[in-house]
Amino acid sequence: MTTENLNKERHWSIEKGFAAGGLVFALGLGLQIACGPVPWQDFAWPANIIILAILLSLIALMFMLRKRVYAFRWMMHGEAAVASITWALGLTMIMGLVPQLRSDGVPWLSQMLSFWPFVLVWTWMLIIDALACLNHISRFKLREIPFILNHLGVFIAIACATLGNPDMQQLQMTVYEKHSEWQAITAEGKVVEPGLAIQLHDFSVEYYPDGSPKRFASDISVHSKNGSQAQGTVEVNKALKVEGWKIYQYGYDSSMGDNSPYSVFLMVKDPWLPYVYIGIFMMLAGALCLMLFMAPKPIEK
Amino acid sequence: MSWDLFAYFALPSVLCWAAGAFFAWKGQASKVYAFSFAGLAIYFAFILGMWISLERPPLRTMGETRMWYSFFLALAGIIVYSRWHYKWILSFSTLMSFVFICINLAKPEIHSKSLMPALQSPWFAPHVIVYMFAYGLLGAATLVAAYMLIKKRGDMHKELNIMDNMVYVGLAFLSFGMLFGALWAKEAWGHYWAWDPKETWAAITWLCYLLYLHYRRICPGQWKDACLILLLAFVFLQMCWWGINYLPSARGLSVHTYNVG
Repeated sequence: MTTENLNKERHWSIEKGFAAGGLVFALGLGLQIACGPVPWQDFAWPANIIILAILLSLIALMFMLRKRVYAFRWMMHGEAAVASITWALGLTMIMGLVPQLRSDGVPWLSQMLSFWPFVLVWTWMLIIDALACLNHISRFKLREIPFILNHLGVFIAIACATLGNPDMQQLQMTVYEKHSEWQAITAEGKVVEPGLAIQLHDFSVEYYPDGSPKRFASDISVHSKNGSQAQGTVEVNKALKVEGWKIYQYGYDSSMGDNSPYSVFLMVKDPWLPYVYIGIFMMLAGALCLMLFMAPKPIEK
Repeated sequence: MSWDLFAYFALPSVLCWAAGAFFAWKGQASKVYAFSFAGLAIYFAFILGMWISLERPPLRTMGETRMWYSFFLALAGIIVYSRWHYKWILSFSTLMSFVFICINLAKPEIHSKSLMPALQSPWFAPHVIVYMFAYGLLGAATLVAAYMLIKKRGDMHKELNIMDNMVYVGLAFLSFGMLFGALWAKEAWGHYWAWDPKETWAAITWLCYLLYLHYRRICPGQWKDACLILLLAFVFLQMCWWGINYLPSARGLSVHTYNVG
């Protein structure tokens, strides 16, 4: 085939991809109308691991049937990548232009992360990414490593970040100086007991000469239900790690400054974090490879 | 070092870079390097002086990031020149650098010493410097794309090759910036990605450069489309860098808005 014919063929193949993306979008729109926005809170453990298992099986099945089913074979190639990235780009752009709101019952486009077409288009892109990755793994050679690092890294990071999100706990705990506190509130305003108590010994603020805050820090002890204890200073950018929780300095009574009677902490537990980090570090290594090995050779004079 | 002295460092630097660009047209490579590096050294001396006198990395305000941008544009120009020996690249990079220097001279922003606690992190400098380097390279790639679209004829293989190389390296740095940002956000705010408007536009920009990369591999002959994708990506990059400060969807919501004025 001549280069020109090949170009035409590929262009046609990308256009088919745009149409396929339209189908994915329409499917999402149907789901949105029928069931409402994506119920992310229902995807907490163990639903998320089941969804991941189904997704991975689906990808494996598509890969095994690639020789028989044209659509699956098509999805392993760059044309599919171009089409799906374009769709994801378009929808993410809408998200960037429409103010995103947290409250319930807002227009679909104001809650893009729960908008089925957005979620399905990104999922479709990830499936294409995973299939391309399997394709390269199946004919593994050392020079495939950069490709695999980039594509597998993206898949692991995004899949684990998204599916793990409902399992993440983010609690706010307000503790008064010289007191300890067991109760915290969730983002939705529910009072819960995370099983850790924070005792605030001292809270302090330092200022710059121009009056803006330079550093605020809380001197705390943490007690857990099973009797263990930890001690430390928590300040912005310096969290304290206790029994799977990370305790962040979050706020204080800024009208009182250094005399604030209390300190507010953010407690975060994210069981999927290590897997997201695996993905992120693969992407970092992949980016290094992108620059060193994947860039086309310069044309010498 | 104070911002008042910027012109006394920046203008000699631009003169040096312009001299470098001139000798590039003349084909006198050793003079090109001598002048270009002299310019970089003078300019960097100012950055260093600001860094020391502010007692923090000068990376916080819009003006400070523009200052780095001028530096990295000139640096990217000389790197590209050393690798591909383009006669015109240094003229372009010097001109672009000069434009950003003029903006900083016309609209100097207040550079106070204070650095809010969230920015006091070892991640701060690498996050922003890596991003500025990516912006510099991708800006230069955009210039090549614009040049190709205007010229439109002849053998474009060399231009395409240089454009691809700059995007590959630029995208790698863009990814470093984004991922360093994610790791930092986890340390500072408790989560690595919150779809803050700046993050959303960073994702859009990143996707657009990914699109360029994939498209170039699939349709190497369709270079005009590729150039258009690159121009679009650069618009997104500007949106991410400063455009969101003026976007209703981001106002007051982003933790990333620069301290303007």
